[in-house]
Amino acid sequence: MGTELNILALYGLLVVVIVVLQVLAAMGQVGLGALLSPRDDAAPLTGVAGRLERALQNSVVAMALFGPAVLILAFNGTTTGATLLAAQAFLIARVLYVAAYAAGIPFVRTLIWAVGIGATAFLYYACFAAAPPAA
Amino acid sequence: MTTELTVLTLAALLQCLQFAAYSIAGNRQVGSKVAMGPRDTPVHLTGAAGRLQRALNNHFEALILFTIAVVVVTLSDQSTALTQTCAWLYLAARIAYVPAYVSGIPGLRSAIWLIGFGATFVMFIGALV
Repeated sequence: MGTELNILALYGLLVVVIVVLQVLAAMGQVGLGALLSPRDDAAPLTGVAGRLERALQNSVVAMALFGPAVLILAFNGTTTGATLLAAQAFLIARVLYVAAYAAGIPFVRTLIWAVGIGATAFLYYACFAAAPPAA
Repeated sequence: MTTELTVLTLAALLQCLQFAAYSIAGNRQVGSKVAMGPRDTPVHLTGAAGRLQRALNNHFEALILFTIAVVVVTLSDQSTALTQTCAWLYLAARIAYVPAYVSGIPGLRSAIWLIGFGATFVMFIGALV
């Protein structure tokens, strides 16, 4: 899976896919007309549609954290084998996270989430641990 | 500065304007006392204020995807005429999205949203191939 930047682009694509899945699930639940309306009195989504909505929100938060870490490492040129591994672990964990959320598997979902946030935390650690880039 | 970065800056400015519009509409609807309070009881905005709030939140989501697309394209030196056009298309769609949401015309907002979303998607593909 190439470089950390590639993985970031792939994660962006994953979020795009989650958006599409969430829209499709919501459409199945409330109908296209409700989605196209201005949603002034939209009822909360339930079941898989609601789970995908929450998984999407969580994925956006994860991206807000993961994105800067990768960009700092790439910009400074301080990526290592370990940071690539962490980025790969993050991507795999986030794919599994969405599946676990949609399937409604408790506890395991949280463990998977922890892998993702742990990998992200490691990337930030690597930002500080790496030798400063040559001026 | 690449074209994509210029557009990203403009998109961020658009979000500042959207925030101002939402804040003004919200304050006018519920009063500044409620707006500045701790909001322990959820504040439910209706009408144009609610639509501006949802448009703002939607753009936060779109903006974080777009930001990543722009930065990946820029950092990996993969800016092309295609990614630049997509960036402008994104901005145009997100500007049009706000009045489309407020107008409440069914379908129009979603169609415009799809343009911005598709432009971002193409930028990711452009960065990967």
